[in-house]
Parts: sequence; C-alpha cells; structure tokens
Amino acid sequence: MVTVALAGNPNSGKTTIFNALTGSRHHVGNWAGVTVERRSGFLELEGESIEVVDLPGTYSLSAQSEDERIASRYLSSTEADLIINVLDASNLERNLYLTTQLLELRRPVVFVLNMMDDAERQGVSLDLEMLQSLLGGPVIPTIGNREEGIEQLRKALQSVIQGQDARIRQIPVNYGDDIEGELLKIEREIGRDEHLASSQIPRWLALQLIERSPESEALIQASHAKTAITTQVNSSLEFLEAHLGADGGTLLAEHRFGFAHGLVTEVLKRQPLTKRSLTDRLDAILTHRWLGIPIFLAIMIAVYCVTFVLGKYPQDWIGYGFSWLHQEAAAVLPQGELTSLLVDGIIPGVGAVVVFVPIIMLLMGCIAFLEDTGYMARAAFIMDRLMHLMGLHGKSFIPLIMGTGCNVPGVQATRTIESKEDRFITILVSPLVSCSARLQVYILIAGTFFKPIPAAFAIIGMHFLGFALAMIMGKVLRLTLFRGVNNPFVMELPPYRMPVLKATFIHMWEKGSVFLSRAGTVILAGATLVWFLSHYPGITNRAWTAEYQSNRAALQVMDIPATDRDAKLAQLDLTHESRIMNTSFAARFGKLLQPALAPILDPDRKRPEAWKDGVALTAGFVAKEIVVGTLAVVHQASAQSSSTDVRVSPLQDALRNRSGLTPLTALAFMIFTLIYTPCLGTVGMILKETRSVSWTTFSIVYGLGLAWLLAWATVVFGRALGFA
Amino acid sequence: MSHYQLTHLSDLEPGQEATVLQVKAHGPIRRRLLEMGFIRGAHLKVEKLAPLGDPMELVIKGYHLSLRREEGSCIIVSMIEPAGA
Repeated sequence: MVTVALAGNPNSGKTTIFNALTGSRHHVGNWAGVTVERRSGFLELEGESIEVVDLPGTYSLSAQSEDERIASRYLSSTEADLIINVLDASNLERNLYLTTQLLELRRPVVFVLNMMDDAERQGVSLDLEMLQSLLGGPVIPTIGNREEGIEQLRKALQSVIQGQDARIRQIPVNYGDDIEGELLKIEREIGRDEHLASSQIPRWLALQLIERSPESEALIQASHAKTAITTQVNSSLEFLEAHLGADGGTLLAEHRFGFAHGLVTEVLKRQPLTKRSLTDRLDAILTHRWLGIPIFLAIMIAVYCVTFVLGKYPQDWIGYGFSWLHQEAAAVLPQGELTSLLVDGIIPGVGAVVVFVPIIMLLMGCIAFLEDTGYMARAAFIMDRLMHLMGLHGKSFIPLIMGTGCNVPGVQATRTIESKEDRFITILVSPLVSCSARLQVYILIAGTFFKPIPAAFAIIGMHFLGFALAMIMGKVLRLTLFRGVNNPFVMELPPYRMPVLKATFIHMWEKGSVFLSRAGTVILAGATLVWFLSHYPGITNRAWTAEYQSNRAALQVMDIPATDRDAKLAQLDLTHESRIMNTSFAARFGKLLQPALAPILDPDRKRPEAWKDGVALTAGFVAKEIVVGTLAVVHQASAQSSSTDVRVSPLQDALRNRSGLTPLTALAFMIFTLIYTPCLGTVGMILKETRSVSWTTFSIVYGLGLAWLLAWATVVFGRALGFA
Repeated sequence: MSHYQLTHLSDLEPGQEATVLQVKAHGPIRRRLLEMGFIRGAHLKVEKLAPLGDPMELVIKGYHLSLRREEGSCIIVSMIEPAGA
C-alpha cells in the first residue's frame, strides 16, 4: 500500500488538510515509545486505499525536540513513499525552511499552499507555475478549512503515485561550491560503510553531521567507518569556518533561508496594505499592557464555566444513570458476591470512568478552539513571566488552573506544551492543585472541627497551599530531576484565524474516546481492586448476610410509619456495610498504616479509632470525595443530616465526639488529603500522558512523602504554638 | 543615512528595528534560533513586551515570534535608528 506523509510547520493548517483528505476515518495512536500522538487515516484514490500519516508539526527536521525526532526518523526511513508538504501561503518564507530539508529526502513531494485566503487578504499574489518549477513538484493552492483545492490535491496525488507527473523533479538546495565540495567528501566517507550508506540517505546524513546534530552523531557511532567520517567532518568544518567565517549550522541555515528568500522574491508579489491586519488590531487589545491580563482571566473563567459548570449537568445525568443502574441491579439480582462485584464494584467503577468524559471533552474542545484561533500562544505569552518564575512554561497555566475543577482533564491539557520536560514538570505538579472533589472532604472536616469563619479560611487556605506547593515543586523539579534541560521559549504567535468547528468536534471526540480506552481501563481496574479490598473477606460471611437479611425482613413487616422504617433500614444497611468494611483487607491495611500515620493524626497515641482514618484515606485513592463516604461507613454514621433542622450530621457528630481527632489533627488530615497521591483517575491520566510507569510511580510516592511531611510539620509546629 | 549601534536583542525597546549580527547561544537554543530565522542580516522589529514585561514579541521574516529576554540576550543585533533620530 502507498503511504503518504503530511509534513509542515505548526499552524500551517496541516490537520485541516489531513481531515479533508481522510474524512473522519482516522486512527489516533502513539508514536512508538513516546507520548506524541500519531494520527493516520485512509484516502481512496480510484478504488485504491492510500494511508495518510499526519506527522507532528515542526519548523525543521533537526531532531531536537521529540516531535522533530519523530518526523525526521519517519521521513528518513523508507516508510513514506510520498511527502505532502503543507505550506502557509501567508508566511511562505519561514515555511520554506522545512521544505529545503524535505527536498533532501529523495522522495516525491507534493506542495500544498494552504491558507490562500489569508495570503490574498495580505495582498500577496503568487506565481504558481514558477513555484512549481523551482520546487520541482506540483503546487496545489488550498483553503483547508473550506476544503477548497482538496479535489486538485487528490488529482495531483493520483498522478504522482502513478509516476505520471511531469512536475516532479527532485532538486535539492545548492549550498554553494565550498559546502557542496565538503558534503561530497563526507558522503564519500559515509560510502565506506555500505550498510550505513544504504540505510541512510548519505547526503542528508552529511548535512546533519555538518550541523553537528546529536542524532546523526549517534547514527555513525555503530559504523566501522566512524573514525574516517568524524575526521572528515571535523576537517570540513574547520575549512568552512576558515573560509566562510561561520560554523556549519549557521552556514546551512543561511543558505536555506537564502534559498527561501530567493524563491519568495521570484514568485511572490505583495501589494502594499492600506489598513492594519485583523491580527494586529486584535493583538492591540488582547495582548495589551493593561487589558491583556484581565481579558485572559475572563477567558479562563469562561472556559472554566463551560467545562465545570456546564459539564456538571451531563456529569449529574451520568451519576443518576449509574446510581439508578446500581439500585435496579441490586434489587433484581440475588444477594451474593458476584452481585456485589457487579453492583458495588463494576457499575460504580465504570461510572467513575464515564463521569470524566463530559468534562474532558468540554475542556479539550475549549482548548482546541483557543489553539485554533491562535489565542493559546497569546495566553502563553501573557503568562510566561509568572510561570517561568516557578520553573514552568507559559502554557502550564491553563492545565493548572483547570486542575482546580478536576485534575484529570488538567493533566490531559498539558498536551499543548510542546517540550517534553516542561510538560512532564507540569504533569507532576498539577495533582497538587486542589480539585472540587477534595473540597467535599474539606467541607466535612472543617465544618466539623472549626467555627464557620475559621473553617472558610481553612478551606480557602487549602487551595492556596495547593498552588504554592505546585509552584515550589515546579521550581524544585526544574532544579533537580530536570536540571540542565533548557528549553528555549521561542514561540510563534500565529495570525488569528476562525477555527473550523468540525475539527474541534473531531478533536473532542478523539480525546473522549482515547481517554476511555487508555486511562479508563486503568481506572476501572483500580476501582475493582479497591472494591475487592474493602469487601473481602466479610462479604463471604454467610452468618452476617443471613442476620442482615432476617433483620431487614423483620423491619419490613414491622408496623411503623414509613419514614421511620426507611431510617431504620438505612441504619441497618450502614451497620452491615460497616461490619464488612471494618473487617476487610482495606481495614487491615488501614491498621497496618496506623503507625505511619500516627505522628500526624494521633500524636499522643491515644486514639483507638485512628485506624479508621487510614481506611478512609486508602479508599479515597479511587477518588478523593470517597473519603467522605468511607468515613461514614467506617464510623457507622450517615453523612447526611437526618432532618433539616439538625445541622450536624451523624458523621460530623461521630468525628467530633468519638473519633478522637482534634482541630489540629483535623487540619493535618485536610492537608494530607490535599497532597497525598493523585486520585486513581489522575494516576490513569498521568500514565496515559507520560507513558511511563516510573514517572507515574514517582508522582504517587512524592505526593505521599510530601503530604506526610507537611501534615507532620503542621502538627509539630501547631503543638509547639500551643494548639491542640 | 542611518546609524549602527551594536546591542543585545533583549535591550531593544518596542518599536525599534535591527538586523541580526550574531547568535551567541550554543547547542539546541542556537539551532532553534537559526531555524526560526535569526541568521546574519535578518531584519527584525520589536513589537511589544508581554504585560508582565517578559517575553517580547517581534516580527522577523514576516511572522510574529515571542522570545524570553534570556534568549534575546544571546542575540547581537545592530540597531537601525530611524533617519534623523
């Protein structure tokens, strides 16, 4: 089968061309071993199926970033038969830099001049015939977001694939006599190693060696001609430096831009513009010195509301749906372990996964929209100063701020950060940002142990603490584990464009389905494991089950008012659940944890019920709001007030009067809940986004360590200051 | 007749124009800057600074680019002062 690779600069509209060529039939995966998405799809040309691979958008093939390494390796391999080079017609000169490298790859190239409408608006007219003969390949003008020119592109692909296109002449850039002479010499040395010369394109390898690219130097390490090649490269570079007064990289870049500039002068005519462009006018406001930040914050609030306020409705429907399913299944199916696995394990587990889908799709949709309009780059431009102070990137701001709603889509939003190091640091610190699930725990604990005003301060304080820790840890990670990796912040500010809603929807759909298939499985597996740990071995105890069922039956026939009966039934359910929970593996685990948690939650070693905290925190790993539900079960006290005029729920009463927690240890409990390990959903997402078990483990372990340390410090300092 | 004045790119004020003389960075940053168009003789114009003072926005090779001061300080430029200034 013929394979076509799509290459082009970021913001050249490559994805719209990809979508237009392949329709919606495409597959999203990952490039082998890395976190970069690989999109491929199929195109029918006269009954023949052709694979189209969308390469990451890059400015060059110099293999510095992960994206460039992927594009460069893929194009140097024999996988692609044909390259489509998507060029932004309104920014031709810079886009042609990548073209000068593509022309070295000895593959037919079809050029797509995209965004022709933008170019026309800028008063640019292009001599396509001339461009075609200078580039040595068909040049197809398109307007990707209106699917204009796609038919012509298909025709050109057809004729090139059949080898009938007279426009294909492969003409590499001429680097001038001096450089060309040295390139030949290096090629000759590469030729000494037949294997190397046949697996690589010798001239392309020679060019990369002249640029001293680490990737090419690694390639020749294994060669027996290594010494000969290295000696030649060194003497060539010495010669060039002496004659042309610059290093290899500079010389090649100058010639490439020289070629691009020459070409643009030949083919492009520009009419003087009478008015400022739309982008200039918008930027005058959107990145304005005083208005820039308020507008940015307003946009963030809008995105937050769309995601978490609007997203709450489908989340609630999903919640009702699953609890209805839970009840129906529990009522219909016979009591037993399998039923419990289904009703208490799998149904809530699947629910716990699906409930993330609306917010993931909404947030990813908003981000894709902002990215496609060009505003995302401005957001990074506005926030970079602040984020750089904490060792992060301007683009780290959005994932962190969205993390206050939920860390799961927050972690996924780090996808917009290009450099791997910046992205990983952001992923690792984002679980420290307090999410809305943790808020439920704070409300319970602070409401129980503090008066209303201090409680409000404690809750707000948790959010500030989360942000402060994210900042500090960002800086710490930058200075330790990610030391020495310095990613330049050289970011294009693309022109503002109207996004294509179809592309946004395709993107949302992809994000939702990729989440379900990758992270969803991890979350479901984890939820099932926690169900097992918190129900066994008690659930197999026949005597307890029999006792529970007979008590239930007795209550149901008792002649008392319906409300009383419901309350008694609920209490009975809770007692039964509590009995199972308190003898479960999770409870044993909680008891095992007790010595480790004692310094923070039981500093005087006087609390008989301290193990219950451990159980609740263990269960809270699935989702932090579960801490509340589990506390209710282990303390056998409902989290809901029995009537509206009693403000303290039985659980709050139990916590305050029986659990032995003091205001100080309660505060430590809140701090511990804030920091200790990302929840299961976030862990699933971290694993999906880093594709690294060790980084995922690291994020769990450092969270636990940091949580313990801070909670412990709170108790020690608190006691020293006389609090209890 | 315009005057020449050597300076670091990071020292330019919004509105000022210059041509690139040399990129002093090494390794990946140098390559990135070269690829983005910071080659000898390239003309550039500083558009504005971000609201917090860093990074800066400039126009080079006909497109808009943003750059931190940190990176700007390793680019030596020759300032083009408007005639008569």
